[in-house]
Amino acid sequence: MDHSAAPLAVTSSHAQDLAWVVLLFPLVSALSITFGLRRSRTLTNTMALSAVVTGFFLSVALFLGFGFGPGVNADALPWLSIPGLNIHLGLKVDSLSTLMLMVVTGISSLVHLYSTQYMDEDQDYPRYFAALGLFTFAMLGIVLSDNLVQTFIFWELVGVTSYLLVGFWYEKPAAADAAKKAFLTNRIGDFGFILGIVIVWAATGTVQFDELAQKLHADPKVLGNMASLAGVLIFLGAMGKSAQVPLHVWLPDAMEGPTPVSALIHAATMVAAGVYMLCRVFFLLDLPAAWPDALSFLSPFSALGIIAWVGGITSLLAGLIAIQQDDIKRILAYSTLSQLGYMIMAVGCAGPDAAMFHLTTHACFKALLFLGAGSVIVGCHHEQNIWKMGGLWKRMPTTAICFAIGTAALCGVPVVTAGFYSKDAIFAAALADGRHMLFGIGILVAGLTTLYMARLFLVAFLGTPRSEQAEHAHESPWRMTLPLTILAFPSVALGWLPIGGFLKHRFFPEVAVHYPDSLTEILFEPFNHSPLGAVLGLGMIIFGAFAAVMLYWSAAQDPLPDRVPGISRALSRRLYFDQVYEAVFIPLHDAVAALADWFDRWIVQGFIVRGASGGVELFGRGLRLVQTGNLQTYAFFFVAGVALVVLLALN
Amino acid sequence: MSPVSFLILLPFLGALAILLTPAKHSFAWRGTALLFSGLAALTGLSIFFDFVPGSAGFQMVGRVDWNSAIGLTYHVGVDGLNVGLLLVTGLVGFAAVGVSSEIEKQPKMFYVLLLLIIGGALGSFASLDLFFLYFFNEIALVPTFLMIGIWGRGEQKNYAAFQITLYLSLGALVALAGLICLYAMSGANTLDVVVLSAWLKEHPLPAASQTLIFGLLLFGFGTMVGLFPFHSWAPLGYGVAPTATAMLHAGILKKVGLYALLRAAYPLLPVGVAQWTGVLAVLCLGNLLYCGWVAMRQKDLNLLFGNSSLAHMGFVFLGLASVSVIGITGAVVIMVAHALLAALEFALSGYLYRQAGTLELSKLGGAMRQLPFVGAALVAALLAGCGVPGFANFAGEVTVLFGAWKALPWHVVAAAWGGLIIGGVYMLRAIRQVAHGEVSPVLAQSTDAGGVNRAPYLVLLVPLIYFGVAPTGLVDRIKPSAERIVARATSGLPATPAPTAAEPAVATASAH
Repeated sequence: MDHSAAPLAVTSSHAQDLAWVVLLFPLVSALSITFGLRRSRTLTNTMALSAVVTGFFLSVALFLGFGFGPGVNADALPWLSIPGLNIHLGLKVDSLSTLMLMVVTGISSLVHLYSTQYMDEDQDYPRYFAALGLFTFAMLGIVLSDNLVQTFIFWELVGVTSYLLVGFWYEKPAAADAAKKAFLTNRIGDFGFILGIVIVWAATGTVQFDELAQKLHADPKVLGNMASLAGVLIFLGAMGKSAQVPLHVWLPDAMEGPTPVSALIHAATMVAAGVYMLCRVFFLLDLPAAWPDALSFLSPFSALGIIAWVGGITSLLAGLIAIQQDDIKRILAYSTLSQLGYMIMAVGCAGPDAAMFHLTTHACFKALLFLGAGSVIVGCHHEQNIWKMGGLWKRMPTTAICFAIGTAALCGVPVVTAGFYSKDAIFAAALADGRHMLFGIGILVAGLTTLYMARLFLVAFLGTPRSEQAEHAHESPWRMTLPLTILAFPSVALGWLPIGGFLKHRFFPEVAVHYPDSLTEILFEPFNHSPLGAVLGLGMIIFGAFAAVMLYWSAAQDPLPDRVPGISRALSRRLYFDQVYEAVFIPLHDAVAALADWFDRWIVQGFIVRGASGGVELFGRGLRLVQTGNLQTYAFFFVAGVALVVLLALN
Repeated sequence: MSPVSFLILLPFLGALAILLTPAKHSFAWRGTALLFSGLAALTGLSIFFDFVPGSAGFQMVGRVDWNSAIGLTYHVGVDGLNVGLLLVTGLVGFAAVGVSSEIEKQPKMFYVLLLLIIGGALGSFASLDLFFLYFFNEIALVPTFLMIGIWGRGEQKNYAAFQITLYLSLGALVALAGLICLYAMSGANTLDVVVLSAWLKEHPLPAASQTLIFGLLLFGFGTMVGLFPFHSWAPLGYGVAPTATAMLHAGILKKVGLYALLRAAYPLLPVGVAQWTGVLAVLCLGNLLYCGWVAMRQKDLNLLFGNSSLAHMGFVFLGLASVSVIGITGAVVIMVAHALLAALEFALSGYLYRQAGTLELSKLGGAMRQLPFVGAALVAALLAGCGVPGFANFAGEVTVLFGAWKALPWHVVAAAWGGLIIGGVYMLRAIRQVAHGEVSPVLAQSTDAGGVNRAPYLVLLVPLIYFGVAPTGLVDRIKPSAERIVARATSGLPATPAPTAAEPAVATASAH
């Protein structure tokens, strides 16, 4: 077995080493802000913004240069090398990573611009931009990583930096608690992830993606009966970051962080990292079911099957809960969960191309919606309850129009939004994989999505103001509305680009991909490609919108709690996940800790130590104080020992 | 003179200089201590960077025959096993002197004892003769007990001082018994590991003797590290010890036991290794899980740190129990990393205690706002303590997980749970209660460390991050020694150690 360092694809130009610049620039920005630039707001701004904007343009260049080929590796740095375990820090520049680079740096640039206004009055402005830079660095590290351990390193760093950002207002108990909850819930996923990595390494002797792919290609059974377990453990990592049921509980709470942070990390980057990682190691997941004997009861399920169902269930439960939330950011948070469920489901249905496609479009329109929500919140003087808004359409026209476009894209309105195309690709993947139940769930969730988003829009933007704050709402300054306007364009048009086909070709080179060639064909491609999904999806959108209009058109309050009180209460209390955790699992772990503590205090220290001390007291007469008997006794023992050495030596 | 001998000599010279400085020049005591500990830190740095990686032999060797009748040899040198430990001992020693400016009672005595601990620790890590290793360790331990007794704090002072003295003395005695047995049973008339290991290759000890000696060394030295269930002295002792003593003991002296196991027990007693690693593997779960759970329940920051440092030792024991090159390399990385981390934790808690007068978690809060530097350093230390990448601890822990998987998969599962989940719970709880939240009344009047007062913390934090970002510098040095140890520990027969060349020539024998 060859354990030598990364096989570096050496090209004459080494242009791929620009990826290092994209990766490190935000780190340099964060460090220089922390260690000096923070004294000046303008310098902080300029540094932070130029780092990510430069990164975006370089990402576009890298995409154009390397996105259409087989992919190359940038020069790697050694990190740790012991015979049998070689880990380096290397960058993989290929179609998947460069596409994701553009998404991350693009959204990050807009969020940075938006934040210069949104965070303007905060006393910790420099700390905010330093943390944002660190976060961007960590996220880009996941995107560019060429091996599993490096992914795990940056994975953890994303966890830490998001901890810093969610807990940015750490003096507020809710924010500090939310940050802690997010980090710890993610850690449960990481626990599985690292074990999965170790298992893969133990079977193959490598953690590098290219070498792993080669080994699996040469011998698909190289993982033996650990194949499915390794896949599911790695997926556990994705469940944490991408907030899949039952590890989803951190994401809604994380809305305590600043709203631009939610747009960046809870829409486009961190939560997408799980989906991205699964796409990166798709070749490891797409193996026939093979479980160790102890887990043989799972043998009907493959790793992908489990992934698909977790995704489907998440999309359904989150879509339901979103219907009865009142906080504008929490509605968006649950809709994010639901859409992430779609993406995970797509991976599980052997459609990583569809997952990445939806990830890309969703990043744009969900960032748009979160930034729009931020604009609304500032406009309404920090009011977040949609039932205290209303009539914002007239008072905040730019925000309202952009928010409407984002809403349409999230619902997947046909032809004129990007969400239509990517969502349809997921439905098609579920059908093609023969998972009809999940296809049905997907269609149902499309209806739920329209219902809760139309509810949000009708209540917050239309009708009449329901509060003083909404009455006096005002449009936000240009540094906030410009990012919204920019994001509105890809939210509409991104689906017209042949991203789906491009990704399909990348994941499945052997499948012939048909690129549409006329405008009509482009616009109506889903109706040709998978008519069932497109037509049923359209039907559900109409149904959901109709239901929302019936229920919420100029409603003064939510009618559902009166009509279906039990269901409404369960949904507004998030189906009791948090309550169950707080009542069962956390106390259980605490009880184990309490038992250990009790044992330590009373048995180990109380009985053994005091017992021993009693025994020694008899033996050595005065062991009461350090300064007195004890040290003398000790010295006696020591001298006796030395004497024994001498004695033995003389014999 | 070997730079290693020079390094050991520095703190003792410093102690002597302070003793000779009369009280009317009392201002010079602290300055002298800073000077000599600073020189030791610099010498440690230069030894670390002069050390040639990739060689398994001893470098910078110094040797004086002391007493040929009983085979006592002053023999020092560095290899991958101790080069990093000598470096961090210098750094922690300097930082410990640095944070001691608050000592008002008997400062002369304090600095003398502190330098004795530093010199003793350096001597034990550098010694290749096990008698001197043991002797230097005693030189470091006795001042530890005295310092806790004289400058300790809190109501439980006497009980804690008693417990730590009892445990460590008994542990040392058991270890001494092991060494004496080794000396007597081998018939080599020496405790010089280099000579002894050549001798044992020709005249292997019977299996029963190896099992006996390894057991004595394991439990003797293990107790000094806090191996479950002989651990309860540690959190209590650190809770009452003066800041500098806690830093040096938790950071440095605790590693002497581990170091001695790797230096003596593993390479010399392969049958003992085979007999006892199963027991060690079971006991390390106690450190990894049980001590972690106990840490979750602590209401005092120092008790939390004390228990968490026991949990970290579990990772080292797991690496040792794996008897693999990857696992033992990882274990040594953790020893180096944890030396810096534990010292940093106790340095910061000492600062907080001086400012707030308490370390009760429920009374602290808002340290980030009130003390931006100390608060940020504390958050960094706590994150390092729950295995966040970017700090050297992560590099060591993840290496141990890889290294132990083949021999002990279920232990790896437990270690991952202990490190990621349990460690995460108590460390984040501490951040939440100490650093986050509104500024608490006890901290309302406190002032941040500024200017040169930040140096002790940075001296510990910067290398912790450096070795975390680029562990390869550390790993490349450790690797050949780990290979040598594992080759011998699994050989069934002790093999010849690398021939030691006269200084400064580099001995090059290795498993390559």
